[in-house]
Parts: sequence; C-alpha cells; structure tokens
Amino acid sequence: MISPLPLVMIAAAIGAALLGFAFVRSGVRWFLGLGLGAVAGGAGSMLFMIPLDYCTFAAERKPYEAEFGFLLVGIGMAVVLIPVGWISLRLLRGESLMSTASQPTQGTFRHWWIAIPLLAPTITILVLFLYYPSIETVRLSAHLSRLGAKREAFVCTTNYTRLVENSDYLDVVIRTMYISAAIVVLSMVLSLLIATMAYLPIRGASIYRTLLIWPNAISPAVAGLIFLLIFNPLGGIIDHVLGSAFRLGWTNDPKVAPWTIIIASVWKSMGYNILFYIAGLQNVPKDLIEAGAIDGAGLIRRFTHIVLPMLSPITFFLIITNMTYAFFDTYATIDYLTPGGGPLESTNTMMYQVAQLGVFGERADLGKAAAQSIVLFVMVIGMTIVSFRTGGRQVTYGA
Amino acid sequence: MTNTIASARPQARSRWIPKRWYAHISLWIACFFLGVPLFYTLLVSTQTRQEINRYEFTPGSGLAENWDIVFNQRHLQDYMVNSAIMTAAITIGKTILSLLAGLAFVYFRFPGKWLVFGFVLITLMMPTEVLIIALFRFINKLNWDNTYLALIVPFLASATGSFLFRQHFSNIPAELSEAAQLDGANPLQFLFRVLVPMSWNTIGALAVVQCLYAWNMYLWPNMIITDPNLDVVQVGIGTLRAGEGGGIQYGPLMLGAVVASLPPLLVFILLQKQFMSGFTLTRDK
Amino acid sequence: MTVRRFHIVMMVLVILAAVLMPATVAQEPAEIEVWVAFDDYRLDWVNEVAAEFNAMFPQYNVVIAGGRSYETMFAEATVAAEQGEQPAVIHYFEAATQDARDSGLFKPIADALGDRTEVNGLPVDLDDFIGPVAAYYTLDGKFTSMPWNTSSAIWFSNMSYLEAAGIAEPPATWDEVEAACEAIMALDNAPQYCFSWPNHGWFFEQWLAQQDALFVNNGNGRDERATEVAFNSDAGVAILTWLDDMYNKGYLYYSGAQGGDSWATVDQAYQTQQIAMAAYSSSDTTLYTQFGIDGGFTTVASFLPYNDDTGWTGNLIGGGTLWLTDGLDPEVEEGALTFLLYMTNTENAASWHKLTGYIAIRNSANELLESEGWFAENPNQTVAAAQLAQSQVTPATSGALVGGFPAIRTEITGAIDRVLLTDDDPAEVLAEAAEEANIIIEEYNLLNVD
Repeated sequence: MISPLPLVMIAAAIGAALLGFAFVRSGVRWFLGLGLGAVAGGAGSMLFMIPLDYCTFAAERKPYEAEFGFLLVGIGMAVVLIPVGWISLRLLRGESLMSTASQPTQGTFRHWWIAIPLLAPTITILVLFLYYPSIETVRLSAHLSRLGAKREAFVCTTNYTRLVENSDYLDVVIRTMYISAAIVVLSMVLSLLIATMAYLPIRGASIYRTLLIWPNAISPAVAGLIFLLIFNPLGGIIDHVLGSAFRLGWTNDPKVAPWTIIIASVWKSMGYNILFYIAGLQNVPKDLIEAGAIDGAGLIRRFTHIVLPMLSPITFFLIITNMTYAFFDTYATIDYLTPGGGPLESTNTMMYQVAQLGVFGERADLGKAAAQSIVLFVMVIGMTIVSFRTGGRQVTYGA
Repeated sequence: MTNTIASARPQARSRWIPKRWYAHISLWIACFFLGVPLFYTLLVSTQTRQEINRYEFTPGSGLAENWDIVFNQRHLQDYMVNSAIMTAAITIGKTILSLLAGLAFVYFRFPGKWLVFGFVLITLMMPTEVLIIALFRFINKLNWDNTYLALIVPFLASATGSFLFRQHFSNIPAELSEAAQLDGANPLQFLFRVLVPMSWNTIGALAVVQCLYAWNMYLWPNMIITDPNLDVVQVGIGTLRAGEGGGIQYGPLMLGAVVASLPPLLVFILLQKQFMSGFTLTRDK
Repeated sequence: MTVRRFHIVMMVLVILAAVLMPATVAQEPAEIEVWVAFDDYRLDWVNEVAAEFNAMFPQYNVVIAGGRSYETMFAEATVAAEQGEQPAVIHYFEAATQDARDSGLFKPIADALGDRTEVNGLPVDLDDFIGPVAAYYTLDGKFTSMPWNTSSAIWFSNMSYLEAAGIAEPPATWDEVEAACEAIMALDNAPQYCFSWPNHGWFFEQWLAQQDALFVNNGNGRDERATEVAFNSDAGVAILTWLDDMYNKGYLYYSGAQGGDSWATVDQAYQTQQIAMAAYSSSDTTLYTQFGIDGGFTTVASFLPYNDDTGWTGNLIGGGTLWLTDGLDPEVEEGALTFLLYMTNTENAASWHKLTGYIAIRNSANELLESEGWFAENPNQTVAAAQLAQSQVTPATSGALVGGFPAIRTEITGAIDRVLLTDDDPAEVLAEAAEEANIIIEEYNLLNVD
C-alpha cells in the first residue's frame, strides 16, 4: 500500500532534479528549472493516477499491478516533463518555437482576434472528436463497461492486466505485426520493381501507369469482396484454375487465411506505391544514372547504389502510410473476406479485435476494447515519434 | 515533383527505345495480374448462379436479373446517395475549414499561435480508429447516431489540411495581402477572392485525397449507423450477399461491388496528379 | 486542364448530393418500426405481409428493416438501446431471451394484451400456439414475446450419394454417420467431404440437450439465475471429440466461419453437392429440398443424429421471437400489437411454414396445412415438428436461460474451431472456454442484476 502524497512528492523531486540539471547544462537559471520541474513532475505523476484513484497501489492488488502503476506514473511524468522542459528552455533562450522559419511578419491583418472565429471550428472539432475521446478511452479502459448494461463498474487496471496474463492477446499483437509487415514489404518491393519499368519513357507509358495504379481507388471493403469471390474455399475460381493441388483452404485454413488477407491488401495497395515510386524515380537525375553507366556500373549496382538511396525519403514516407493502411484500413478487407476474424482467429488483427470486442461482437465489452485501443494508441504514437526522429520534417500523414 | 511527371510525357515519345521490350513484357504481366481480379468480377456480375458455378470466362446472361436484385430489390442506389452526401460534405467542409485555419496561421499574429498550431499538429498522432470506442459512445450520447452528422462532423477538421494550406499560403508573396488590405478587403474577401483562385491545385489535391478517403470509409459508418436506410455503400453492398436460394449471391454482389467502385475510380483516374500532390505538397518544401 | 476536370467532378458530386437528398415527408399514419434479423427471401416475405397489413390498416405504417443475422441484430439492438432509438418491435433469437428480460426495455405481450380477446378486430388466441412454443416463451407464467419463427436442428441427406453407397436411410446416430461417411467417401464419384454443419453455438446446445446434459447451472437457469456454465461435462467433451474425429478423418467440412456467418457456407457446399449431408436448422427445409430438385437429387430430412453412448432425450427449440418495446406511444403500441397478431395469424403461420420450413406455430395452421395435404406431399416438412413432439421435457431439453448467452456462444464456437484446427485436447479447450464463459456470466450479472 503506497499512499498518493509521498508518491507525488517523490515525483516532484525527480522532476525538479531532471529539469534543474537540464537548465544548468543549457546555461539557464537553474532555480527556474527546479521550480518548473517540481510542478510538472508532480502533475505528470497524477495524470493517470487521478482517474485511476491510485488503485494500482491498493493493498489488495497484485505486486505487478503496482509496478504497472509506477510505469503509468513514469509515462505521465514523461508526457508532461518533456514538452514543458523543451518549450520553457526554448522560450528562455529566446528561440522561436516554430520549427519552420516561414513566419511572415509582413502582410498580416490587424485585429488578431479575427483569427479566433477562423480557427474555432477546427479547434472545436478536434477537441470534441479527438481530444475528448482520447481521455474517455483512458477512463473507459479502467471500467467494466458493456453496451446496453445497466451500470459500469470501476475495475482499476484489470482490463490491462488481463491482456498481459492472457497469451491470446500477445498472439493478436504478433499476428498484427506479421500481417502488417508482410503487406508493407511485399507491396513496396513489388511496386518498386514495377515502377522501375513503368517510369521508363516507353511507348504507352501513361496507359500503363493508369492500368497499374487504379486498384488504389478500390475500397478495402470491395477488395475483400473481390478476393472472397476468387478465394472462397468452396467454388472459388482459384481452386478451379490452379487445380486440386492448390486447394489450400484459402480462407478456412488458419495458416493460409492471413496470406489471403495479405494478398488482397497487397493487390489493393500496390497502385498507391507504384504511383509514388514512379514519381520518385522520375526525380532521380538522369545524369547521375548516366554517370554510373559511363563508370561501367552494372544495372543492379546502379540500382542499389544510386537509385535506391535517392528513393529513401519516399520509401520512408511510404512505409509510414503503408503501416497505417495495414494497421487500420485492412479492417474492411478482413470483415468481408473472413468475417469474425477467420479460423483460429488467424486474421484477427488488433484493430479488428477492438471493434469486434467493443461493438460488433456479442460481448459488447467497451472497457476491454478501450484498453486494447490504448495499446494500439501507444503503438501509433511510437511509430509517429520514430518517423519524426528519423525522417525529420519531411513526412506527414495524408489523411 | 508533380511537374516532372507532366514533363516526362513529351519526352516519352521522342526518346522511345525499341530495345525496351523487356519493360513492355514486365508491365504487361503486372497489368494482367492487377487486372484479372477486377476482370473476373466484371464477368461474374453478368452471370447467373449456374454460370458462375460452371466457371465461365465469358459474359453471362444474368446481368438483367442481377441488376434487378441490386437496384430494385436491394436499392443499392440509396446507399450510393448516402455515400455521396457524406463524401461531398466531408470533402467540402474539410477544405473550407482547412482554408480558414491556414488563413489564420499565416495572416494573423496572435498570442499563443505556436501552442494552437502544436495543438492541431499533435492530432496527427490520433487516428480516429484508436479512439473509435470512446467516439462511438460520445456520438451516441450526443444523440447523433443514425444521422449524417455522425458521419460527417467528426471528420471535418484536418491537421494535414491546415498544415497544407499554411505551407501553401506562406509561399505566396506578402505584397498580395498588403495590397488587398489597402483595397479595404476583409480577411474572408481576401481568402476567397485572392488566395483561393491561386490555390486550386492545393485545394484539388486535398479534395481528391479526402474524397477517396470518405467514400471508402467502412468501420465508422458500420459502427455508428444502425438504421439500414442510412447505411453507406461500403456497408450496404454487404446486404447483397444473401438472397433467394441461400448461400452467397456472387452475381448481384459483384455487380454491387463494381457499381460502388465506379465513383472513386472515376475521381482517381481523372485526378491522379492531384491525388499524389496531396501527399507530396507537404513534403520537400 | 486538370483543374477544370476537378471542377466538373466536384460539381457533379455536389449536384448529386443536392438532388438526391431524401426529402423527409411527414408521415400521416403512426409509424411502427420493426427490425427483423433476416436479409434474404424471408425478409421479402415480411415486407409483403407488412404491405398487406398497411393496406388493411391505413392508420398504421409498418416499416420493416432487415439485419444480416441474429447476432448482428442483437448487437445492433444493443447499440440502438444505448442510443435510445429502439424500434417498436425487435426480432431476437432464443439466446437473447435472458438479456432481453433483464434489460427492462420490453413489455410482455400478455401485459400489452391485458384480457382482451381481440385487437383492432384481430382475434387473440394464445392457446392456439403449439405446446412447446408456448412453453418456451412463457416466462414467470407470462406470455413474454411473440413466437414467430421456430425451428429445430435436423439433418439433411443427399440421397443420390447415400443410395450409391448402399445406404437406404439417413443416419440416426453419430456412429451411423461415420459408417455412412466411410461408404460415401469410398465412392468413385465421392463428394469432396461427407458432411458439414454451421459452427454455430446452437448445434452444440442441441447435441448437449440430446444427451440430457445442462448448459448452465441452476437447472439451465430455469430454477434460479444461472451463475456458472455446466457445458464442460463429459457430454460436452464428447461433442467436440466426435467433431474432431470426423474432421481428422476428412469427413467433416469446416468453412472457418462461425456464428451467424456460418450458415451460408453450408448452403453453398450442400447446393453444389460438395457434401452429401448436413446438420442444419429446419428453418431452411424448403430451400434444402429445392436444392435437391434443382440439382437432380433427393433431399431427405431426418432427426439430428445423436451420441450412441448416451442415447436421445430430446432436442431444443430454436429460432426467434418478436419483442415489443416498452414505453411506446399508445397508438404505436396498439399498432405494433396488431401487426404481431396479424403476422402470426393462421394463414400467415401456414404460408411462413411453406416458404421456409419453420414449424407452423399454431394448431390451426397445422390443421389447415393437413387439410391441404401439404404434409403428405412434403414429408421433409414434418420432421422438425415430430422431433420436438417426441422430445422429453427436461431442464436440458428446455434450453438454457443465461445472461450474456450470445457472447458465451462465441466461446463455444471458438473452442470448436480450436479443437478442429489444432491438436489441442478437447477437454482442455472446453474447460478454457468454460472459464471465459464464467467470466462473461459474472460480469453480466455484476452489471445487470439488481
């Protein structure tokens, strides 16, 4: 049993020490760092604990739930401390907070308050439909809550600890990773190969291009239906064409079903990747390649040493968008091709599980679905941070 | 980047090299494998159940019957209308809101601007999908379920869109807005008379991306809409699976799939350059 | 140029949206929304009945909305209740009975009727409903929901295959199924698989009831509220073991689809003669008989085969009933009640039976069909009713009442999925499913029981 007060005080002390040290190193007044750090650290430690009512530290809880509580305290502190420290340091050193320098000072309108009604619709919608649901997801994840039930019950972190205790969920995470990785890698490699042919200035290039990229306009749902027609295990055309040796049980064999989803998703997403790779290849300066040719560099060497590095920004951008696609948009394909998540749950991805558990399935278990949403959320944040750190400011999402 | 695509085309004719037969063959193969699923779908959409079970690779005789099921018995057109309303509203609304936000971020200096901008930008890390359970609850509490509001309003604000126009506007010379102010134009007049006519490419880019995104949405409409009269087409085609005689009715189902794919295919093929610049405009600038 | 194209596309979209914006015309008659868990020819039948009804009673306008399956309808109805947008009448399957009662959202039919003998000129004759049906839906002594589509699990055989294999009668027990499969699969023109069944929790429950084994404790939830499942008994394990055995021998075709999605896959397999036999609901007797006529073979319906070791006690009722929402506008409630009586009157009960194979739920409808010679001409259509009539009434064969039942079913179908597709031990898998099901019951009771 650990009571809240000492916990907040320790968190404040750690925050003060961290920010104080950072301020000293940056040559800014250290006592400001101490003060800000103490406040931010203390507040950060409470970020998740107030909604949870410090339940993870209650006497009747298991030891690892307390550890989980400490983890939440730590995450909360990081979430508050890092931006507070970064912003205050930049402010105190008189630096601009905007990363891009394109802040026109001329040509601005007077009456700055006119900006308020201009921004109000966007901000209101973001607060109501993104920020508020984020908080609500955290709250729901600490409750036993079912659609149509008469009441909710507070269950602390049970929804999370059950995810850890239950190896099924680990299987879902691993499966999601494996399906997503297969989709992204296959789709991008095949697209790059095709794009290296399609970008060449040959006769009919624009017709080829249109014939290659159109599947991008097909919805993931329709892709699921089309591949259901082809791959259904009784009467699917694929079994007829390939003969009985390839009667693999495309949607009812748990080893094969994920690959049917992968094939459908690769088919649907290749058009997008081909489009971008063609554009990327056309941006590779011709003289660079020609110089390579004079050097006598072979076709493959020229490709791997000159073309591929030039394509790395676009490849990086495509990895991020393709991951988003594989994580979320495959939902509709799975729902039409293997409704319910396939045999042995072999096509049940993290996103599919959230929707089925929370709303579509018979369990209608909002709390557990919210806890799984949070796991997904943390993964998305992780992916975004990685993309910003490695890709710099070149990449943004499309949607 | 978009310019290079456009300029590649005239080059293509002048520098055609006959030796590139290998490119033609590979592209033929690629087009074939990408095209076969749709081609077979088109065939099945014209076939009767018996013809499908016989695996015929020719157009069948069931188109009229399938058409009757799809449009007269199952009313796919109603779902198409719902999708069209949702798509048009999201596309137009998102564009307008993004234009307004871009205007505020570039042509106004107000306290805490960086904070507001950061607030908008951080939502890039919040895809609706991971919040969908709570959003679902919230919309139900607002009593917006089974209305167009639920399909449209949550998607009207866009970090990408605001960012896109902010970038685009900040590349427009400041003299334009100074001149407009001297003429006594208010910010909205400036936006719609000066900025918008200069921004059609960017607007088109955002609109095409949003159009496809909205038309192809599945999870959210499926979740929040329980009234079948309001289902969007991606959900509505599912009703074509069942029908007279048990099993899955592939003929009508595939006809529905083809019809539901026509609008996005049309938009995408005609406006593919805008589509791509929607993603690339925010890069490399 | 492309800008102009873009303008054109946008304009077309906007005009399309504006022109086709559905005009909401004020409805004069009271609108009665009815949700039905079908989306096929059965929905068409309901629509026809509703149209007749609306013509007969111009003061009402019954609007039918279809659903993909019982399971999706249950989930959608739960959402609708959460949204406060419940329709006047909802069609629930038998597994939703306890949830529907606990929700407090529905009004028992008996309460709505009071002691009236007619509503809007339509006679009220609850005694006319056949015994098992009236018994199943009379809860706490009250006629609770309106019976409509009642079925039982039966067995369909493609006699061309059976006769070719020298089998004269459809198999009656599990061992006979295996023997028949051995003979059928040895044929030169053997089908791909011997038989199939929809992996739907209902069939597990049927096989459990046949062995007189309980699904949940407290007398299948009929003596007292159920608190734990009882299905992980020897009888339950026997079902999984038998299915696994049949699957491993290559006799059983499993599509991988579970619950509401599983039905259509069996239709497809049976219709295309890729299987010789199928366990299925009597709901589609007409369809399966027609499959035979269209495909040039004879379909014979028979009782669902049972476990030789335990013998046969009886089978369960299945299907759906119509629940009347509580707190409706009196005029809407009256209209809904009138429609329910109309939809289940003698003529409609008979025509519904002929169309589908659901049991004719009224004695008067059975008499009508008998006098038309229908049963003599269509022996398949008598099987389900006979199976129910011959069943002993025990707590096991009365079916389970338990909260969260639909969710528990997905645990069962998941367990069967696992047993078939892996080498895991049926007893262990079923025990794990029971553990998860107990959590579902515990959570359900915690949140819903006062």
